[in-house]
This record gives sequence, C-alpha cells and structure tokens, in this order.
Amino acid sequence: MKIQHQVLGAQLRAVAEEMGAALVRSAFSANIKERRDCSTALFDERGRMIVQAEHIPVHLGAMPEAVAAVLAREPRHGDVYVVNDPFTGGTHLPDITLVSRVPCGVACSRAHHADVGGMEPASLPAESTDIYQEGLVLPPVRLDEEVMTVVLANMRNPDERRGDLNAQLAAHRLAERRLTELVERRGSALVAEAMDELYRYSERVVRAAVARLPDGRYEAVDSLEPVAGALEIRVAVTIAGDEVTIDFAGTSPQHEGNLNCPLAVTRSACYFVVRCLTEPDLPSSGGAYEPVHVRAPLGSLVNAAPPAAVVAGNTETSSRIVDAVFSAFGQAVPVPAQGQGTMNNVTFGNRRFTYYETIAGGQGACPDRPGPSAVHVAMSNTLNTPVEALELSYPLRVERYELRTGSGGNGVHHGGDGVVRELRVLEDCRVSLLTERRRHAPAGTAGGGDGAAGRNLLNEGELPAKVTTALRAGDVLRIETPGGGGHGEAG
Amino acid sequence: MAILGIDVGGTYTDAVLLDGARLVTAKVPTETEQEESVLAAAAAVGAADVERFSHGTTIATNALLERKGARTAFVATDGFEHLLHLRRQTRAHLYRLCAEHPEPLVPLERCYGVRERMGPDGVLVPLAIDSLPAFEAEAVAVCTLFSFRDPSHERAIAEQLRRVLPAAHVVASHEIAPEFREYERASTTAADAYLGPLCARYFRALASRSEAAGLPEPLVMRSSGGVITAGEAADHPAHVLVSGPAAGVVGAALVGRTAGEGNAIAFDMGGTSTDVCLITDGAAERTSERSVGGFPIRLPMIDIHTVGAGGGSIVWRDAGGAVRVGPESAGAVPGPACYGRGGTRPTVTDANLLLDRLPPTLPGGLELDREAAERALGDLDPADVVEIVNAEMLRALRVVTVERGHDPADFALVAFGGAGPLHACALAEELGIETVLVPGAAGVLSALGLVASDERRDSVTAYVCPLEEAGELPAAGEADLRYRGQSFELTVPLGPDLAERFHRAHEERYGSADRVRVVELVAVRTADVRPGPAIVLPSAEPIRLAGPVAHELDGATCWIPPGWVGVRDGTTIRLTRL
Repeated sequence: MKIQHQVLGAQLRAVAEEMGAALVRSAFSANIKERRDCSTALFDERGRMIVQAEHIPVHLGAMPEAVAAVLAREPRHGDVYVVNDPFTGGTHLPDITLVSRVPCGVACSRAHHADVGGMEPASLPAESTDIYQEGLVLPPVRLDEEVMTVVLANMRNPDERRGDLNAQLAAHRLAERRLTELVERRGSALVAEAMDELYRYSERVVRAAVARLPDGRYEAVDSLEPVAGALEIRVAVTIAGDEVTIDFAGTSPQHEGNLNCPLAVTRSACYFVVRCLTEPDLPSSGGAYEPVHVRAPLGSLVNAAPPAAVVAGNTETSSRIVDAVFSAFGQAVPVPAQGQGTMNNVTFGNRRFTYYETIAGGQGACPDRPGPSAVHVAMSNTLNTPVEALELSYPLRVERYELRTGSGGNGVHHGGDGVVRELRVLEDCRVSLLTERRRHAPAGTAGGGDGAAGRNLLNEGELPAKVTTALRAGDVLRIETPGGGGHGEAG
Repeated sequence: MAILGIDVGGTYTDAVLLDGARLVTAKVPTETEQEESVLAAAAAVGAADVERFSHGTTIATNALLERKGARTAFVATDGFEHLLHLRRQTRAHLYRLCAEHPEPLVPLERCYGVRERMGPDGVLVPLAIDSLPAFEAEAVAVCTLFSFRDPSHERAIAEQLRRVLPAAHVVASHEIAPEFREYERASTTAADAYLGPLCARYFRALASRSEAAGLPEPLVMRSSGGVITAGEAADHPAHVLVSGPAAGVVGAALVGRTAGEGNAIAFDMGGTSTDVCLITDGAAERTSERSVGGFPIRLPMIDIHTVGAGGGSIVWRDAGGAVRVGPESAGAVPGPACYGRGGTRPTVTDANLLLDRLPPTLPGGLELDREAAERALGDLDPADVVEIVNAEMLRALRVVTVERGHDPADFALVAFGGAGPLHACALAEELGIETVLVPGAAGVLSALGLVASDERRDSVTAYVCPLEEAGELPAAGEADLRYRGQSFELTVPLGPDLAERFHRAHEERYGSADRVRVVELVAVRTADVRPGPAIVLPSAEPIRLAGPVAHELDGATCWIPPGWVGVRDGTTIRLTRL
C-alpha cells in the first residue's frame, strides 16, 4: 500500500473513532454511555464501508445495508437520514442509525436507544409476534424537526431520546468537519483513492488468510429455545480457494416469536466468525468481507420477511448462528468451545423508568488456553452498569453480583465461569427476559465438558428463558448466566 | 545551595543538578536496585550541598507490571467480593476470544465479604463486623458499596483489620479514591494496597541511603505533577504510578514558560513509546483516571496520552503489504541495527540515520553502522518509515488537541526524549504549529522537571447531586460536571457561574449545550500547592542554525529540515519556519 494512502487511512480511522467517542461521552441512554452499544463508520461514495469504529460485533455487517438503503433515497449534502427498519437496513428497532453525506463519502452512526415505543418499556418485549409490537418502525427518512417530533411522540422517554439523537448528530457534525479539513488538505481525488486502497487492502489480507484454510464443505446444526416449539439453525460452510460460502438452507422458517433475524444480522454473525478465525487484528473495513458469501432462504429464521418480530434475533439468534458456524468450521480448523451463547437481556420498566442490561457469562475454552470468566461472548461486548450508577438512577437494588464458580466446563482448558446477578425492584414494574442456553447447555469441544446451563429465578421460583411479567416492589430476580464449554478431555 | 532532580527510567537514570547558574546533567544505567542508580546518578553530577532533592521513580509501575507486590486480600460488601474479577464484563479483545485481561492483583481465594450494605441514601444493612473472616495477608484493600457517600462501615472494617493484622498495609477505598463507580474505586484501592509494602521498603531504603550520602530526604513526584514526602509516597504508592512521565511534562511546561510560550504541547518521544500532553497557560492538563497495566487507576493525574511507538520501534511489513511501526521495540538491547550491538531488525532510528538526520557518532562515542541499517531496512524506504511513524505521532497529538476542541496552531511544540527533536518539525508542519522548542536538556527533561516541581497534595470530594443543591464550593480547584442522565463528566475550573461554564465546555467539546437540563455535580477536586523553587535556567552562547542540519544535544539529536531555522535562546532552541 502506498504510504500516503496508509497515512490517510490512519486519519480516516481516527475520524470514525472520534465520532464514536463523542457519541458515547455525550449520550444519555445507559445502553450507549455505560455499555457502548453503538458503532460509527465512514463509507465511500459508492456506499462501501471503509473504516468502522465498532464497539460490538453485531454492527459489523449491518451498517452497509443501512447506508445502501439511504443512498437509494439520493440524499443531498447536509441531510441526515434516520433508519431503524430491520427490513431496510436496520437490525432491531432500538438500534437507530443515522446516515449523512460528507465530503468524499458517507458517515454512519448506530446506537441502541433505551426505548423506541411498542408494547413493553425498553422495547425488548419477550413475547412479541410481529414488528409493530416492538416499537416505531422508521424506514429511511430525512431527520428534520417534523420527523423528530413524530419520533419523540412515539417513545416513552422523549427527553432522553432527544439527548441521544443529539449525541448522534454531534458525531455526524464532527465527521463533516473532519472530512472537510481532510479534503481541503489532501484533495478529494487522493482521499477517494485512499478509501479504495483501504478497502482493497483488507480484502487482500482476508483472502490470503481464507486461502490457508482447508478446502471442503462442513455442516453443523444448533437449536434455539423459543417460547413454543423448536427452532433449528442448519449451516453448510464451503471453503474454496480464497472464498468462503456460508449457506443456511434447511434452517427453520421464520416463526411467530421474535427470534427472527434480518439478513443483515445473519451476515454480521458470519463475518464475526471469519474474522476470529482469520485476521482478528485487522482494522474493520468492508473489504474484509468481500470473500465471504452468505446465503439464506428468504422467509427463514435467518432471513426473515416483514412483518416478522425480530427483537431477539439481534441478540440471541445471532449468538446461536455464531455457535453453528464455529461448529462447521471446527471440522476444518481448531475452534473454541461454545461460550454462554446469550446476552441475557433483562429489561425493567413502568411509566416512570426503563432500564436495560445484558449480563456476561463464560467464554468457551480455546484450543490453547482457558475461556475467560464473566465476559460477553460472540456478538456483544458491552460494559456492565456499575452498581452505584444503577442505584443512583433507578428504583432497583443489586443484592448480589458474583462469579458463578464451577459453571465453566471441565477440560484440558476450562470453560469460563458465568455470573450470578440478583436485582430487587423497589417499585411495581414489568420485567422482560430474553435469554438462551437455559435448556441446551454450551457444549465442550474435543472431549471437554459442557458449561452449566443458565437459570432465571423470580423470588426463587424458576422462570422460562423468555418471559414478560409484572413485578411487585420487593421482588427479587436472580439470573445465573451459563458457563462456557471446556476444551480437550481432562485427565 | 543546590537543587537536585533524579529520574529513574527503564534504561537510564537521569540527574540534573542546578547550582546557582550552573546546570550539570548526567545519565547512568538503571540498576535492579533503584536506590543504587539514584545514588550513582547523584555522584555523577557531583551533588553536594543539596538543599532540595526530588525524585521520579518507576518502582510502583514496575512492581505492578511485573507482579512483584504484596500478598494482598480484598474485602468488600457481602455478595460483591468478586468485584475485581468481574471487572466491567467486557472481554479483552473483540475477536481473540480467549485473550486474557491481566490477572487481578488479588486472587479469588483472598476475596472476602462482610455483611453490611450502604445505599445511595444511607444504611440498608447495618455492619456486622464479626462477619469479617480471619485471614492472613501482607496488605488488605477494603472497598464497600457507596463508601464514597458514607464511609462509616468501610472505616470500621479498616480499623478492625488494622487491629487484627497490625503488620499489614490496610487501605480503605474512601481514603484513596472517594468517588463513585465501585469497580474503578476497588481497582485503585487494590493497586494501592498491593504496592504499599514494597514501596515503603524502597522509600525507607532510599531515605537512609540519601542521608548517608549527605542528601536531604527525597521528595517524590506523583502522577499529578507535584512532589510529596517519601513517607506520603509510601502510604499511597498508587499516586506515583506515572511519576517519571509527569515530571517530563513539568519540565516541558518550565521550558515553555521560560520561552514565553504558556500554551505548549509536551512531546516526549523515547525508545519504545511516546508521551504527549497539553499545557495551557503554563499548567498541564489533568485527568481523573487512567489505565496502568490494564488496571483502571482513579486518581488525579497529568493527562498524558501514550502511544506504543518510539525511535527503537521495529518496522515491519504486514500480510497486506502495509508498512507498520511497533509495538515491538529493539529496546536498549540489542537496540537499533545501526548501534552494532547485534540488532538485525529495522527500527525508526535506522531510517533516521539513512536519511542523514543522525550524526555518524553519537555523544558518548557510539559509532553508528550505516551498512547495518541498510541491511536491516532492505527494500523499505527510510522516508516511508519516518512518514508512518509520524502518522502515529500526529494521531497522538491530535487526540490531545483537536479532539478536545483545541487548535494545535495555538500551541508551541516542546520536543524532548531521545527521538522527539528528530521528528518535531515535520509534525509541526502538519499541524500548522509555528514554533518548536527543543530544550538543551532534551535527554534529561524529566529530571529538570523534578528540580522545578511544586509540592502538591490533591484531594477529591464526591457529590453526585444537582449542582444547585451542592451548597458552597471551594473557591479554587475543579469540578466534574455532567447533565443529569449522562455518564461522563467534563472537568471545569471552579468559579462563579459554574453551570454556564459547564454548558460552554459541553458546547466546545460536543457541539451542543442544553441549558434547561439539570447539571449534576459529581466531584470537586482541589489541590494544596506549595510552589517549588524559582528556577533561572543558565544561558548559553546564542547560535543560529538553518535547515537542513542535524544538531547535537545532550542525549538527543535535533533535526532541522529545510525551510526551518533554529535560534538558541537561553538553553532552548526555538525553531520556526522561514
């Protein structure tokens, strides 16, 4: 790569990172500010993702779809578009994406908002059956004051929403300013050239890495824990030369619940696995995924059609896709044992407040070392909300927060331990749980033991994996998150 | 009477002795026993009749990174004793799934719970002191929930521990970091306890060796940029984790002030890493938290931004054909290929030599091996190498200026460290900076900063309440403020109309302010400062240097590119564009 391109690449990356930092630091939702459930990126004029500052992998493959959907509307310079429709570039409704034209390209920011309306506070209903119950659907539209008024009128905490959208807008203003400076200094031709070269560079690196994987077709299957019935993810991974095709033919059709995934989320999960197995240190750029082809039948669980409910697809099904794709690759190259395979989504809310958190668990052991305990695995990597920050802001009390010792699977290398978290509600409110791996424990690999399955308890009574229910002040919810699988047979 | 400053670095220990108008500097190799290096450095500058002796040390940082601290126990609210192991629940690397965070300083089996619970508004469960289990430990960190609001439980636990473990070093979180967010507070407390016994031994040994050598008791540089007594440093060694780099920034501020440049950027490019820090109106920017060795340390510190690239960084080409610099370094051994000490991999220094920016012989007599540098670089263009490392440096300089709402053109660049003066002019050009200052003591600026340092004691008071309800605040100091509902604070100087100051700061940083939102006061930071000695730096022959030329300094080389001219003013060379 030419030095001037490389230097410009570093500057473009810096802009994306600065956008992310500005967003996190001025936001109001706990999801964005404490947990960093957001990503920012710069695209070229053609809508190819050039640099991304991602905090959580689920946004990896999903931002380009949002940009494509907005570019189809032919935005003018200076316009900012908003979109969250999972069927035109979104992931699930709480992830609101802004897209704006900037000199030489497009800026994009995505953030998980604390509430976007719908049937339950925090917009993560456990029992939704269509998209309309999950909140306000925003197809790509220009975000002016009129649209903003409509958006805020449909959300439970409009004041906080405005603050968060302002934080996103600040990131876009920053991108506009920085790109203007860059183009003034370097000229738009050179900036465009550098963008093209950055894209090709990451494509080259990943192609070389894929070429080193053994050719062949590898299949795997894994299952989910819907409210009713059974759901299966079937995948066939075909490695041929420097390309890999990941095909989900045979996967269950989309269902009446909310575990459905838009294709963008399925792509993110596939890209994540390829990234882990090829070039984990490569800076994020769309070129890295040129050699990866994802096929999923329309109307299936992993390529749902409207008006499917999708809220848990993003957090839970994506985790299971990762497990299945890792299993398939595992027949060709060494892979880690399964991690907790869920984000343990917990939301509380009433008319007065909404609060959402995800809880860490055990990572599966790797072929060469143990799995870390009490971490987010796979598609999430959000921070916890400090106990003191939580109790200062919400009518909740944390009664216990500790390692779930012994929950990691045995093996030459142990799986990581899960976490125990007990929350007491201090007001009447509702709780929604979107969790997985309560019936099917995370599997060990190469003879390693399974991790312990997770548990959800209300005042010591067992709750199902997915549930929405009313709580009285004083009730205690206890979540025990799954341990990771072990690797290798223990002697 | 003379003033002595001694800074212990990873490879060399630097000394500066200011005796009236006479400035003596020396560099000696750093030994395993740091006090030996300190005494050797003092002897090397001929220290006698010293009235003030200030010291920068890596003792705490090394002990933390090399895990040589005390057998420490951790005591927390029952149900929360795994706090240090839960961290903030993120994994260490997004795509390396089993990458590990550094092992917590206290193993799980020495983490204990005590029955008690404080909430945001006071006691929820009274303290049951007899639930404190019996255990043995050399040091104990105590961190209970909401002790920043009401430390009574935590204080009682610490008192009990001091009774039953009289030999142990016991630290309670409210004593060191009385601020909200339990993990960061616990992490700071654990580091402080862990380092206590070892640092106490070191400071005692140093004090007695100093006394024997006829030196006064050393003052020790804290990360906040001021010195304290050795006894205070031993009590809370977490405060000295960034001691040396802080001294460098103090030195840079002194150089800037002396040259009439109160607004400056300290640019310290060493062998393996580079530290940059913004100085406004003669004072270094501060921060309230930094990660050291992977552990968050919530203490007032000089806001130094560090990048893992320096003169000794290894240059390589990655799988996609891009030239990369660092983070691997050739270090002092074997050093860059051109040092002829067995290094074969190319470094930034080798590229600088091939570009004729280094003299054939370094001060001290080391002859540089041009052929070895050529062999090491192979088909890598040395100009490309310098451009790539400069891009890293630019990134760091932009972080402390542009990204914080400052225009770098309003600042002078103070370049020091072995490699800083080699790269400074090119960086200044990129950033629109008009003036580069290169101190004569560029190779030992941290030691000079020690000579000039103020005594400084920081304290912090947690509030976490609406600003309107905070009552009377101190007249001087800083306030951490945010809009109610936000999680990150902006630090604003105390003074009249604090809310408006915050709105303006928010506007500057994020482009918007919301004057109807409630402003929340999170913490107030104050400092008790006793000014250091008034320093007059000796002057030297005025000289004028027109680029392109490489100019030799004490422990560093200054590269003046074409179009730049340098004029020595006092001991500092002021470089400007023609």
